[in-house]
Amino acid sequence: MEIKKELIKREIAGETVLIPVGKTVYDSNGLFMLNELGAFIWEHLPEADIAEDICRIVTDEYDVDLDTAKRDVEEFLQRLSSHGII
Amino acid sequence: MLNRKQTEPQLSKYLHAKGRALGLPIAGNFELTARCNFDCPMCYVHLKSEDVEAAGRELSAEQWISIAREAKDEGMVFALLTGGEPFVRSDFFEIYHAMKQMGIMVSINSNGSMLKGEVLRRLIDDPPFRVNVSLYGGSNETYRRMCGRAAFDDVIENIAALKNAGIDVRLNVSVTPYNEGDVEDICACAEKLGVHMKLASYMYPSVRVNGGKYGYGDRLSPEKAAAASVRWDVLRFDDETFSKRAEAMAELRLTEEPECPVDSDEGVGCRAGSTSFWMTWDGRMVPCGMMTFPVVHPLELGFKAAWQELRRATSEIRLPPKCKTCPKRSVCAMCAAVCVTETGEFGKVPEYVCRMTDAVISQTKAAYEERKSENGN
Ligand code: SF4
Ligand code: SF4
Repeated sequence: MEIKKELIKREIAGETVLIPVGKTVYDSNGLFMLNELGAFIWEHLPEADIAEDICRIVTDEYDVDLDTAKRDVEEFLQRLSSHGII
Repeated sequence: MLNRKQTEPQLSKYLHAKGRALGLPIAGNFELTARCNFDCPMCYVHLKSEDVEAAGRELSAEQWISIAREAKDEGMVFALLTGGEPFVRSDFFEIYHAMKQMGIMVSINSNGSMLKGEVLRRLIDDPPFRVNVSLYGGSNETYRRMCGRAAFDDVIENIAALKNAGIDVRLNVSVTPYNEGDVEDICACAEKLGVHMKLASYMYPSVRVNGGKYGYGDRLSPEKAAAASVRWDVLRFDDETFSKRAEAMAELRLTEEPECPVDSDEGVGCRAGSTSFWMTWDGRMVPCGMMTFPVVHPLELGFKAAWQELRRATSEIRLPPKCKTCPKRSVCAMCAAVCVTETGEFGKVPEYVCRMTDAVISQTKAAYEERKSENGN
């Protein structure tokens, strides 16, 4: 999936955050925090074409059923797209 | 309403809270220069060019970038580039781009006079998290009196351009004897521009530039400073909000969070030296820009060791025992920087601020009653 905004992933105080760089304009929060699953998905976004690809990668890595994975992945992708990131 | 409620993003608060527990420097302030194209009497940094040379040397862009990188490696997320006027440095963008590229959220303090043309274009190309513009008055006349330059029209035009470019701009207003009559005009300006503003009428004694005279500053009396602050409350709050605030204040409570969140113990309590640090233009590190000590030297010690030393020294600071038990503490602006700049010691009660607090309480009460009687209930 294409990441439209230039963001740097940083580990701070045990949290994973995405910080805008370059032309990317900050939204109201400025930065974006990822939970463990979010950080995992973020790493694998470039190799996925559609949401199903990500669900598969998630179920390969985590001990979750497909429905749960689907729900979590969709929620996360929704969050990213509402910020114009994907 | 002038006061769109602007609370700090939860995420930033959360990172500061975690950083505090882990001892991380979450936020850094970088005073890139002491030079400025304005000459304001209450400035705590600005030196004349000849004095800058006498006082020390500005760090190079490479030095700033390397300190920022070390700070980032220790956990710095937020950086504020300030001065002086940071844009007087011809290598400003070198430092700024490098910091942003590291994944640091960079904000800028500026007097606004140079935010046009090429500077504006470069900011739009690589936008900052926020620009805080100090607004010194509501007319060219006041600007001439206070800053030595009739820059008001330019500054307003530049703020509007920044805002149109989608950059978050905030106004910082300092009330002094030179512009105390402008509070209404300034509020109207902010309203017209549609930007959030913050007004401060308490001015720290400029210990750093006045030859170390504690408690001295070219500033309003505590009562007049209180009047400006209450005036602003009257202007920015609608009837209901103002009433709530006044009723809370009568019980010595605040309804909104103070700018620097301070707990009410005897230690420093705010973020200074706990999750934030301040680098002066000549390379010293202090907990907060108003303080001259405790001071450490990252150029000699390296950032990490300097930061650890700063935390340790800050943790030993004790504020006045009297303030700890003072019933007015929660409505009082007292903090470590206030105590030390007013009295020369962290542990001494800042009388100016006691007087200002008393005046804020009584004047808020008076304004509340006046508003009530005007409204006929
Ligand atoms: S500075 Fe004065 S009013 Fe404020 S807390 Fe201390 S004693 Fe109380
Ligand atoms: S010492 Fe005072 S002025 Fe400095 S950061 Fe803390 S609360 Fe703010």
